[in-house]
Amino acid sequence: MRRMFRFLAVAAMAVLASTAAQAQTVDEIIKKGTLVVAIDTTTPPYGMLDGGMQASGFDIDLAGLIAKSLGVKLEFVTVNSPGRIPALLTNRVDIVVSIFSITAERAQQVWFSNPYAGQCSAVVGPKNLAAKSLEDLKGKKIAVTRGTPEDNITSAWSKEHGDSISVLRFDDYPSTMQAMLAGQVDLMGGGDYGDIYLRKSSAGEGFEMKFPLRCFHFGIGLRRGNTDLLKWLNTFVYTVKNDGTLDALSMKWRKAPLPALPTM
Amino acid sequence: MDYIFHFGPIFARWELFARGALLTVQLASASMAIGLLIAVVGAVLRSFGPAPVRWVIAAYVELIRNTPLLVQLYVVFFVLPPLGLKMSSSQAAVVALSANLGAYAIEIIRAGIESTPRGLVEAGLSLGMSRLAIIRHIVLAPALRAIFPALASQFVLQLLGSSLVSAIAAEELTAVGNNVMMQTFRNFEVFLMVGAIYFVLVQIFQTVFDGAYRRLFRWPA
Repeated sequence: MRRMFRFLAVAAMAVLASTAAQAQTVDEIIKKGTLVVAIDTTTPPYGMLDGGMQASGFDIDLAGLIAKSLGVKLEFVTVNSPGRIPALLTNRVDIVVSIFSITAERAQQVWFSNPYAGQCSAVVGPKNLAAKSLEDLKGKKIAVTRGTPEDNITSAWSKEHGDSISVLRFDDYPSTMQAMLAGQVDLMGGGDYGDIYLRKSSAGEGFEMKFPLRCFHFGIGLRRGNTDLLKWLNTFVYTVKNDGTLDALSMKWRKAPLPALPTM
Repeated sequence: MDYIFHFGPIFARWELFARGALLTVQLASASMAIGLLIAVVGAVLRSFGPAPVRWVIAAYVELIRNTPLLVQLYVVFFVLPPLGLKMSSSQAAVVALSANLGAYAIEIIRAGIESTPRGLVEAGLSLGMSRLAIIRHIVLAPALRAIFPALASQFVLQLLGSSLVSAIAAEELTAVGNNVMMQTFRNFEVFLMVGAIYFVLVQIFQTVFDGAYRRLFRWPA
C-alpha cells in the first residue's frame, strides 16, 4: 500500500513539474516544434486582419521571422491589451509580440527584449510654422486629445511655465485634427497615426511632424526567468536591426522609418 | 457591488470643478439672455411681420430644431472658420447655444402669443393704442406669463445641454470632469460629483426663475 502511495506521489510530482511554469530554453521550443505567440488584431498597422480575415501586420511579420529563424511552426493566440501579461503568466503563449510598450510596471511581471519598434507622441503643425521644442509653443494654441501623453506633457509644461501655451482638449483624434485643419489652433498633438491620417486627408499635405514629445518602445514579452530565450531574442532583434529587415518592415507597414531604438 | 469609493482625489481638485462650474454658469446665462432676445423678437415678427420675414424665421426655427445641438456646435467651431468666421471655443459655444435656445423659445413664445384672445387686441385697437403698445402690453405680457414655466424648463435644458460644449474644447464642468477622470481613473466618483454639481446649479437657476416670475407678473390672472 505504502509503495503504491509513494509511486502515485512521485508520478503526481512528475506531472506537476512538467506543467508548471519553467524556464523555457530555446532548445525546448525547437524540440516542441511550435512557437506560440500572442498577438492583437485590432491595432493597425502592427496587428490587424487583412481582406481574407487573416492576421497581418508589422508584429505578425516579425513573429513569422522569429519562428522561421528557430525553424519551428508558428501558432497565434489573439489577445487584447489587458490579456497580454496573463497569457504569458499562465503559459498560454511563449512570447508576446503586440505593441507591448516597455514600462517599469510591466517589467515587474514580465521580461522585455530590446525594442524592435516604437511610437512617439509628437507635435504636428503646418509646414510654414517653425517649431523645434515646447519653448516655441509659447503664446500659441495647440489641440490635443484629452488624456493622451501629448495632453499630459504639454499641459504639465505649460503649467510650469506660467500657462504660456493655450491647450485645447478634444474628445477624440478626428476633432483634434479638424481643429487644426479649420485653423482654430496653430498646432496639434498626435501619435504616429496622427501623421499618417493627416497625410491621407485632403488638406493634410501642408502639415508635418514638428518634434517628438516622448517615445515609447515595443519589446517582445516573455516570462521572467527565461534567460536563455531573452538572450536569443535580443540577438535576433540585433540581427534584424543590423541587416535592414526591421527598417524594411517599418517602411512596408508604417510607410515611415523607425524611430531610434535603444538597447536596454 | 464591492467597489470602494475614494472621493479624496476628487475633493482635492475642487478648484478645477469650481472653475468649470463657473464657466458653465457664464455660458448658460449669456446664451439665455441672447436666446431670450432672439425669441421675443423672432416670435413677434413671426406672428405679426410681413410674409418674407415670417418665412425666414420659420426656416431658421426648422433648421435648428431638426439638427442636433452637437452638430450645430461643430458647424460653428469647425466649419465657419474656413469660410471666414473664426471664434474661440467659448464664443462659438455662446453663439450655438443662443441660436439653439432662440429657435425653441420662439416656438414657445409664439404659442403664448397666439393664445391671446382676438377680442383683447380689438379692444386695444378701439382704444386707439399704437400697434407697438398693443404688442407690448396686450399680447406679450400675458403670453410671457402663460408660457413662463415652459420657457424656464427650456432654459434648464439649455443649462444641462451646455455639457456638450466640451466637444469643442470649452473647459466647462463636463470637460473638467473628463480631465479629472483621465488623471485619477476614478470614473464613478467623478460622475457622481459632476452630477451633484449640475443638480445644485439647476436648483439655483430655478430659484432665480421663480423669483423673476413673482416680481414680473404680479397682476392677478
